[in-house]
Amino acid sequence: MNRSLARLGGLVVASSLMLAACGAASSTTAPTTAPTTATAATTAPAAPTPAPSEAAKPVSLEFWYWAESDAPGADKWMAETVAEYKKIKPNVTVNVVPQSADTLISAFQTAAASKSGPDIASQWATGPVLSFVWSDSIAPISDLVPADEISHWLNTNENTYNGKVWAMPQYLLGIGLAYNKDLFAQAGVTPPTGDRWTWDEFMAASAKLKAAGITPFVGGDKNGYLGAWWFANVGGQELASVQELAKAVTGEVPFTDPKYAAWYTKLDEYVKAGYVNNDVMSLDLDQGVRLFSQGKGAMTFTSDGMLATAMKDLGEAKVGVMRPPKLGTGALADAGNATQSISHFVTSWSPNPQEAADFLQFMHTPDRLTAWYKATGVVAADDRFDSSLVTAPQLQSMAKAETTGPQVWLENWIPPQIDGDADLPAGQMIFSGSGTPADAAALWERTATTWRSAHPDELANWQQLAK
Amino acid sequence: MPYLLVAPAVAFIVLIYGYPIVRVFIDSFLSPTAARGTSVGLANYGFVIDDPVFWKSAGNNVFLLFGVPIMTVVALIVAVILFDQIRGWRLYRTLVFTPYILAIPVIGVTFVYLYGYNGIVNEILRAIGLGGLAQDWLGDPHLVMPSILSVIIYRELGFGVMLFLARMASIREELYEAAMIDGADWWARLRYITVPQLRTVISFFVVIELITMLSWVFSYVYSMTGGGPAFASSVLELYIWKYAFAYRAIGIASAVAVLLLVATSVFIVVQLLIRGDETDTGEE
Repeated sequence: MNRSLARLGGLVVASSLMLAACGAASSTTAPTTAPTTATAATTAPAAPTPAPSEAAKPVSLEFWYWAESDAPGADKWMAETVAEYKKIKPNVTVNVVPQSADTLISAFQTAAASKSGPDIASQWATGPVLSFVWSDSIAPISDLVPADEISHWLNTNENTYNGKVWAMPQYLLGIGLAYNKDLFAQAGVTPPTGDRWTWDEFMAASAKLKAAGITPFVGGDKNGYLGAWWFANVGGQELASVQELAKAVTGEVPFTDPKYAAWYTKLDEYVKAGYVNNDVMSLDLDQGVRLFSQGKGAMTFTSDGMLATAMKDLGEAKVGVMRPPKLGTGALADAGNATQSISHFVTSWSPNPQEAADFLQFMHTPDRLTAWYKATGVVAADDRFDSSLVTAPQLQSMAKAETTGPQVWLENWIPPQIDGDADLPAGQMIFSGSGTPADAAALWERTATTWRSAHPDELANWQQLAK
Repeated sequence: MPYLLVAPAVAFIVLIYGYPIVRVFIDSFLSPTAARGTSVGLANYGFVIDDPVFWKSAGNNVFLLFGVPIMTVVALIVAVILFDQIRGWRLYRTLVFTPYILAIPVIGVTFVYLYGYNGIVNEILRAIGLGGLAQDWLGDPHLVMPSILSVIIYRELGFGVMLFLARMASIREELYEAAMIDGADWWARLRYITVPQLRTVISFFVVIELITMLSWVFSYVYSMTGGGPAFASSVLELYIWKYAFAYRAIGIASAVAVLLLVATSVFIVVQLLIRGDETDTGEE
């Protein structure tokens, strides 16, 4: 979601600000490890205590920070956080340099090339973070922060490599399937009794909605991210683990294998049945979701923030949310889809790595976690986050899904090039009707081959990841 | 001594113009990610030649080249009409030129709303009973490039019109007076006086627009479609941008940049030859 949401700009935006409450927390792990469940804040981590010698030594830290696009209000929260930190560590000055989504990777790439620049920086989880780990640009955060502190952070599996945690999460974003209760009732559609539908139930409900003259599903794929969200939510449901996806990335298995590609046939059937809004290719993802908020469609994919916006626009009682439909039988079919989106880390060249890590740790103190939620309406990636802040049942449901059990945002587990040149355009092929499911699968395979050819150095690292 | 005096200027020019070109050229032979600076010979060129997305992008640039004659003819017609000072010509001149001074992303975003499936153009078509003509202008892979070309023509037209009008204003009045005495009608004056006198600026405009279509359309594409759907509107600049900044493969981006530079240079040489020819024949 990192890359998807990054480009959504102020999507989650308006949404998050109106959240009255929301929350929950837990640690999340890859599906190969045992899931853990959310727990409310019980213990308060101590703010980093300066050693006597440190107190006198002036330290300046530069932080290339990105979060505002995912969570509007983040920059203001960060300014407050820096001011609060100054009170307890007067010798430390943190200069925050907000980053743009479009240049987030390239700007840090430039710094990494010369091994100079910020002391702390932000990158999207997994692929982007690990690529900088592999270029020796990141100091492992688990070498700088005590293990008992890191144990409270959620989704650390997204940046765990070679037994070390390389970057710190700040918040969690997940995707649900929002529905309009009035339109469901109008078409005689009953929401699932559990937390999700099977694919057949989803199709049957869509058929009923269409028969009632209602657009079953609304979205926008002009920028390709609706297709990316479909991939992230259902594309991996035949897979046993993210390592299985990595095997296709590295060429051990072709992407044309039905395990990876069969879901495009399902999506193609759905689109060809006329269950998606006819202007899907004219709208960006967020514009498509807005149709749901305007009551022009019965269902859409939604983040917490988008859901909050829809509840505000349509009325809280008229909006429901469920997990995306289940169509596969692999272990990932049952995994959640929350991701930390952005991650923060200490650079390998920072002359003050411990001070930088102390500041990151301070961002996870209870006061800061509560202030974060109040400023952004986005759940913090920490099991000490006070879940009682979340009050709306729909948002509680989202938060529960995001913090319970294993979580995998599939888009994190493919290189940016395969994401940009296969994931996004393959979805556009299906939504625009310009390509078949076989074309979409062939595009994935061709792009993966291209990526392997263009990035021979990264290939070895991904092969390692596939193990 | 003279060489010493010009040395700072020469050094400045070499630094500003020469270094980036040399650097890109060198990078095009280094490993794609270039972090280690390993030479890979012509591998990057081989990579792009094997990449269907590269050919799709190059094909789209070539498609845009076909817009240049259309744009030139339309600009000429509009300029001639305005030069005749029809009623309200000052207003029309302003209207035609205004798009050229607007930022391309502004125009791009505006046309996204105009060309959307439920956008203004289709709404108008539906309102006048021509709903059957309503199309997903930017979302249909077959229509997206003509749609983008229409936006480029819409904006660049003003430049051509102003260029032609400026030159027409400097054509000696006696030429037209003599022609009229000889009985030349409007069409004859246009064909035998105006157009020949505009030859220099027309060739200049054509070459500039050919270069534009090859290497200055990134903003249009990026702001309207991002290269989609499914690469249907990708162009070489976007290809370079993606490999340089999104995929961190500088070597490949540099190889395409070199190829694009070569293609663009052909038009620059043509322009220089034309200007040289005109100088030789005493034209300006």
